[in-house]
This record gives sequence, C-alpha cells and structure tokens, in this order.
Amino acid sequence: MTEKISRRDFLKLGGATAGAAAGLAALKNFYAAQASGGIKTAAEEKVVASTCHLCSAGCGILVRVADEKVVKLEGNPMHPVNQGALCPKGQAAPELLYNPDRLTSPMKRNRASGQWTPLKWTEAIQLTADKLSALREAGHPEEAVLMHGDTRGQMRSFLTRFMQAVGSPNVVSHESLNIAAAKLGVYLTQGMYGLPAYDLENANYVIAFGANLLEAGTNPQRTISGYTFLRRGRATRGKVVVIDPRQSITASKADEWIPIKPGTDAALALGMANVIIKSGLVDADFVKNYCFGFDNFVSNGERKGFRDFVLENYDPIRVEQITGVPSTTIARLAGEFAGNGPAVAMLPGKGGLLNGGFSGVYTAMAVHVLNALVGSIEKEGGVMTQRYMPCVEYPNMPSDSVSAKGLQTERIDGAGSKFPLGRNSYQSVADAILEGAPVEALFLYDTNPVFETPGGNRVAEAFAKVPFVVSFSSFMDESAELADLILPEPTFLERWGDDHVEGLGYPGISLYQPVIEPLYDTLNTGDFFIKVAEAMGGMVAKAFPWKSYEEVLQFRLKDIGADWELLKELGVWFNPGYRFAKRGSPQWIGSVVGAERLNSPRDGYFDLYSRELNCFVGKMKKDELANLGITMMGDGANLPHYEATAFAGDEAEYPFMLNVVTLMSLGPRSDAANMPTLQEISGMTVRETWDSWLEMNPEAARELGLAENDRVNVESQFGRVRTTVKLVAGLRPDVVNMPFNQGHTAVGRYAKGRGVNGLEIMNPASEPLTGLASFTNTRVKVTRN
Amino acid sequence: MANWCMVIDLEKCVACQGCSVACRMENNTPVVSPDEAKNGRAIRWNDVFPLPVHIAPEQGEYPNVKTHYATRPCMHCENAPCVKTCPVQATYIDEEGIVRQNYDRCIGCRFCTVACPYGVRYFNWYAPQWEGSLENHLNPDELSVNGSLEGPAVRPVGVVEKCTYCVHRLVKARERAAAEGREFRADEYVPACVQTCTGKARYFGDLDDPDSTVSQLSKSLRATHLLEDSGAHPKTLYLAEG
Repeated sequence: MTEKISRRDFLKLGGATAGAAAGLAALKNFYAAQASGGIKTAAEEKVVASTCHLCSAGCGILVRVADEKVVKLEGNPMHPVNQGALCPKGQAAPELLYNPDRLTSPMKRNRASGQWTPLKWTEAIQLTADKLSALREAGHPEEAVLMHGDTRGQMRSFLTRFMQAVGSPNVVSHESLNIAAAKLGVYLTQGMYGLPAYDLENANYVIAFGANLLEAGTNPQRTISGYTFLRRGRATRGKVVVIDPRQSITASKADEWIPIKPGTDAALALGMANVIIKSGLVDADFVKNYCFGFDNFVSNGERKGFRDFVLENYDPIRVEQITGVPSTTIARLAGEFAGNGPAVAMLPGKGGLLNGGFSGVYTAMAVHVLNALVGSIEKEGGVMTQRYMPCVEYPNMPSDSVSAKGLQTERIDGAGSKFPLGRNSYQSVADAILEGAPVEALFLYDTNPVFETPGGNRVAEAFAKVPFVVSFSSFMDESAELADLILPEPTFLERWGDDHVEGLGYPGISLYQPVIEPLYDTLNTGDFFIKVAEAMGGMVAKAFPWKSYEEVLQFRLKDIGADWELLKELGVWFNPGYRFAKRGSPQWIGSVVGAERLNSPRDGYFDLYSRELNCFVGKMKKDELANLGITMMGDGANLPHYEATAFAGDEAEYPFMLNVVTLMSLGPRSDAANMPTLQEISGMTVRETWDSWLEMNPEAARELGLAENDRVNVESQFGRVRTTVKLVAGLRPDVVNMPFNQGHTAVGRYAKGRGVNGLEIMNPASEPLTGLASFTNTRVKVTRN
Repeated sequence: MANWCMVIDLEKCVACQGCSVACRMENNTPVVSPDEAKNGRAIRWNDVFPLPVHIAPEQGEYPNVKTHYATRPCMHCENAPCVKTCPVQATYIDEEGIVRQNYDRCIGCRFCTVACPYGVRYFNWYAPQWEGSLENHLNPDELSVNGSLEGPAVRPVGVVEKCTYCVHRLVKARERAAAEGREFRADEYVPACVQTCTGKARYFGDLDDPDSTVSQLSKSLRATHLLEDSGAHPKTLYLAEG
C-alpha cells in the first residue's frame, strides 16, 4: 500500500480535490494503525479504494484488507456520490465475497441427467468459440443473444462490441423492467435518452412521483445525500412531497404524503399543469422561446398545443375523480410548486411506481413536463443533464459480410419493430423464443431473468428451448440452474471494472479493482470474451486487440485526466462542478435539449407536444392506436396525457392492486438475497425477518376478517402465492404490497425458500408501444389460507 | 478527558439500517438462525425500527398516518442501571464516559439486560458461528484491558454484549497518534455507525468541548433523550423530527 500521496501527485490533483485526497490519505493511515498496547490485530493491513456493485449507485468504497482478508468496507469520502457513507448492502459486502454458496469453478450441465461437472476454462472458451463460429459459418450470427442486467461502465459497450463483432444486434438490457419508462419520458420531451440528474441541494420544492428516493431507485445514496442536505444542511429548508399509494420510508420522511390511486400519476401532474397555466405561473420565457407546442400551431392543419389540451381536459375537479386527490390539494400543490422555485418534479428510477406500467411513458412525460412549465430545466435547483467522462473510442470495427448481414436483422426482443418506441424489451426475449424465434446461444450476464421478470415461469420454459445457455453468475441462481455452462465471474471485490459517476450531473469514473486475489477458479467475463475472440480468430479476434479486460479499461480511460496509477490510488476521478448551459446556447442545443432525438429536429426545443412521438403514432388510425394501448386520438396521442390502466383482473373479483416494492436492505440483485445479514434486516418496516409478507391496510384486512400475521393466499389471474399479512396503516385500502427479492428457489442457503416471489403472479404482458414489462397493472384477491 | 457522545438527527436519518450492518461487520456480532431472529433474538447492537416500539398495527387512520422510525445504539447512560446492577463489575463506565463490557468478567446472569430501559444489551444464547468461509471477514482487532477481552474479537457463549461506541477504534487512533509522535485529535475517532451513516445523521465527539459539533448540537431546541424520565441519565442525544 502506498502510505502517502506523493507531493507530485498531490499537486496534480489541483485545488478542489486536494483536500479530499488528503482526507483520504489520512483515513488510510487511520486504518493502517498497527498493533501495540491494548490492541492486537492483523499482522499486515492495507486499504484499497474501489467501487460497490450491489445496486446501480456505484458508491466509492475503501476496503480494509487484513492479512489478505477483506474485513470491512467504508464509504470513500472522496467519492461524490456517497461522500464517505455506505448503505447496509455495501456494509454487508464481505458476506457476498466469503459466501459459502459461491460457485468455485466453471461447470457444465448434462441436460439429460441434470448433473453438473467441473470444466476447465480452456474448454469453456473453446466450446463458446466453436458455438459462435458455427453460427457465423451458418450465416446466422444473430441467433446469439446476450441479456444483461445493471451492466455499467465500459462493460456495456464492451459486450455490445463483442456481439457486434460476432454479428448479432441482440444485446438486451434489463432496463425495460425498471428505468426505461422514465428514460423514454425524458426522451420524448427533452430529447435526451437518460435519467436526468436532480439538483436537490439547491431545490426549494421537490415533488417525487413514485420516486422512492430514500430507499430504491437508480442512485439511492445520491438522492439521500441531496435530501438530507435540502432538509437540514442549509439555512432554509426545502419541502418534499411524495406521491405514492404506499407510505414508504421516503413518504413518511417527507412533509406530505399523497396516497394517489395507483396508475393515475399522469392525471395529477397534468391537473397541476392546468392550475399552473390558469394562474399564469408558467415560466413564460421558457415555454414561449424554448418549448415546442405550448400554443396551438399549424402543421398539416390546425394542431392543438399543450395549453389548450390541458385546460380542456385536466380541470382539478375532473382530476380529483381520477386520482382520488382532492382538487384543493391539487391546486395547492400546483401553487406551491410554481411559486416556491427552484422546484423539481422527480421521476422514479428503479423501484418506483411508473416503471413499466402500461402508459408509464405518458406518465413520465407528464411529470417531466412540469419541470419545463416552471423553467426548471437546466437550472440551479432543477433538472441537470447527466454528463459523462470522455472515453477513448474503440478502434474501428473490422467488418465482414457475415456480421454485416447479421446486424441488419430485426432484434429478437422486438425493440424498434414490434415495440416501435422500445430500445430493449428484456422479458420479450422469452416470449419470442416461445413463439419460435431461433436462438442458438444465449448469454446471461449480471442478470437473473427467471427470477426478476413478471411471470418468470415462461422464461424458464423458453430457456429450455435454447440449446446453448451460458450464465456468468457467481451463484447458482434460478437462471443459472437452467444453463448449460456456468462460467462464474469473481465478485466485484475481486475483479477489474468501472462505473460512471451518475446523479450529480458532472462526469466521473469510479474504478473497481481486485482488492484481494480471486478466491476461486473464476474469470472476469471481459477476459473471457477476449479469449473467446482470440479462439474464434479472423475478424472477431481483430476487433479485440487487448490482452485483458484491465487493458481495455486502461485504453478507454486514458483521457479522463487521471493516469491509471492515480485512479487506482483514489478509486474515483471526476470533474466537479456542474455548469448550467445558457438557454438556447450551442451547448444547450448540443447536449441539453433535443440532442439525442433520432427522428425529429435537434433544434434545442423542449417538446411539450412530442414531435418524436408524432413520428411513430402521428399517422395512425384509431384501431392502430388502440392496438398500442392508446385511447387518446389525434394530437392527444402526441401530448402527455392520462391513459387509464388496463388492469389484468376485474375489480369485483380481484379488488387489490399488487405492488412489488424494492427494499433498501435486499436491493435489486439476486445475490444480495443470499447475504444473511441483509435477510435478517430485510423486513424492518413491518417487523418481519427472513421472509416475505403482504402489506395490507388494516381496514381492508378487517373487512376480510384478517389480522396481523395471518397466512393468506394472494391470487391473480396468473397464479397464487402464500404469505403472511402485515397491517400497514399508511397504505391505500385498494393496494397490497410485497417485497422484491424474497422467494428465491435457488441462489444459496440463505436466499432459498424465504417466502415467496410476488412477481410470479404478475402480468407477463409487455406494453405494446414500448416493450416495457408490466409491474403496475396486476389485480389480486386475498383469502385466508 | 473527553466525554464521548453521539448525536442522532432523526430528521436526517432515513432508516436505511447502514448503521446496524456497519456495527455488525466492525464488532463481529453473529447472524442468528432465522427462527431465533423471528423470536427477537437477533443481535444488533444498533437497531433500527418503526415507532411506537410496541406492535400497534393501527398507528392512526388512513390517510392521516405518519410512521416514524428510530435508530438506537447504546445510550451510554451517566447513571447506567446496567452498571449498578452488575454483580461482578463486568460492565463499567470508563473515564471518558463510555459504558463498557468486560467479557472475561461477565458471568451471564443477565441482570443488566433486564435493567436496561433501552434493550441494548444482548445475551449470547449460543456460541457465535459463521458458516464456512464467512468467518474470513471477522474483524481481527482484539482489545484487552488488563488481560481481559473487551471485543471486538468474538465473544464466547453465555456473556452479555453491547455497543461500546467502537472503543477499540479509539484505542487504535490513540496508538496511531502516539506512534507518529503527535497529539491525538478528537476527530480521529468515530464509531463505525457514524462513519457509514447514509444521511449523515450521526455526529460524534467530545460533549465537554464547547466547540465540538456534538456539544453545539446538544443545545439545539430539538435535542432530546430517549426515555428521558428513565432516571438513567442517557447520554446519546437525539434531534427530534420537525
């Protein structure tokens, strides 16, 4: 370990980061304290800076390694996302590393007998290379499919490059299960495909639509930091309002909780817009000069603009009937939002209620448009545009006719074809396979689709039809069980990798490094694919001139401003300070509003009337729109509007909406469910542990004769699960909740058989317009078991 | 001598339970079996829970409901009932105001667990175990006073254990300062829960130093103690929500 940062390095850091770096060095010294007197401790200690991988926040960590064992993680005080803090998942990470259920070597399954036998890495590499080469020789490289989870940093582009070199367009992200609704909402309005960053530190008023910002989401640690600063870190305290059918921890910590009828957030947002417009509280400069479609306009005839549309359709009295929120409350929220700027309306990342619901995209648009109405786009205390570190471009891809032809084929998940607006439709891969789409090889990286997809049984059926399934999981999870090869990747504490620093607007890179030697016979999946490329030879090998994934990182991160040694020392490098682009400036047009539109003009106008959406649905007739689940005709189809949720199950028979919530403790990843400490703390809010539960409103439970801890059946059209009732007063009577990440049938001894998985009985349908999975349109009934 | 004290701002606390887990990893508290955990025998020196403490499914009527959460380390009472009741002086208040536990002296009578108004004292009903390779992550630090164990090295079955404000970190920080030939500063020492707090809701320092953050915060109108009327003179401070 380097004890101190050298003077030269110190000077290189420059003003802003130097203090933090010195703090880091001091902290490292603190940990390196050697034994004497009353304390006995390890003979050798070091502290290594790295990055946590247990959710999508990517917090910086300082890992205490004593006698070559990882004994403690702390937050890296220099990392801008967590600033020294670390959540329970990160704290429990040694239980992942030293988990007794980890896979220790590559394995091969005999499908007939179901037996697993160990395999050498060289054999695994050759088998994979042979399979892919055979597909290429047959002229169908597109029959290789890669599904991946929260794969961040360079790994995502690396995997995409590998599949492109082979000749397959089928790299499918799991974003259709979570953040894609919010991303699309921003894309169709602001013209940027990505989650915005919110300047919570400077906001005066925050209204979170289903955004469970203190527990789950894309970057919970970042939003926790912003929230606590807004509340108690500065002289004037900001107000926080949470719109959610359930009183989550976030909602109970907020100033105000609005228990909205599920699936009606769009109506509420537009009701607020109605009041803001009527009261003349809009940011006139912004809507007149930097927005498209506020007023009526002429283009192939009279077109209705946002203002008239909202004034005609979303009077608070009508919105009250839709949402169950009193019109006086709607008017008050609108006034507070527009009158106490800077104000921001937050979209949920993972774990929020808009995610992948039918009409989730229109809802996301409606929420994001509120920011535009009050001029909070690209403004202090408002919405920022996430910027990224410039990474060195990969060398040009050598092309050949096989891969060129393969890349021309339609994506297997229907993104861009069956689902015109979708970019990934993760769960649809299984549907396509079951409908007979040819898939010869399937790679599962950093993901467990059988468990995390609504109606996961069909995913298992689909995988059985694929002759060559490869999982890179470190654990024998539900999906890995069905694979032919398991090629375990080391945990994040034993491998190279990186992550973009997100959520603060400004760019940064956070590094994963092996803090100890890998414990088992595992291989970084990046290294594996480099070796497969080498074994395949020819054009594929040429596309991968690197010897290891570490080299890929060094190549890609050459220009970030820190050299490799410094990045390893600090674990993170970022360019602090977000500079807001001036409205209408070249930077605004080039990187803030409209820059990522594929079909409509990149002219720097924020679309209140979505021209991008018009390219897809503008010419459609009523029945075509209806097939896409859109009931609003004409201009309404291009404007943010409220679509009534098409529930699976009618209200009389199935009176409750089922909501599966992501917890701070267990988080989004299957392997976390096999960490015993996280299991122990998982049900804190309802005094449950090591189990799943069903949250019910006490009054609703009493009507069914149910009491706390009664065993019940929860039944939808798609199946039935059994669990225990927990009475939660802060919950709408027509909604029930179950925790996500319980009910595993595999992974390991701590995860297996703990309660049930609510997703099993969820609607397996995909939203026709976008290919999003449905998480918010399943009705259930609850009966005593 | 310092008078160490923790201040917890309940408004900044987001009930994430990072403190509970940080404490476990730092102090080697074992994971008990799921059945034991369901019976309330999980050992978390610092615990997080919804209020009120007694199970009250109806905490108000929908929609006029507000759930509150609390996080609770040891209160390090100045008039600690656990210390008074211990027949063998296994638990004691040290010169710097930390209620400590000597595991070699403890006879496991559990008087202290009953006497404590806060339920922060945990009895080791079973020999702590870590399955297979899990024991690799145990904190190797071992604090002993006059040859007797005071953690965080694993405690045996049959003793009562508790939050020590991570006192071994204090000893280590002092030794480090001495080895470097300089004065020890109060800000070189924080317990693991304070260091990890996601909401930056926890503060730690010398309550007797008028310039320290904790002593400034102790004068806040929001400052309060848990069960202030218990007679134990709890020291750990809370800043109330609102």
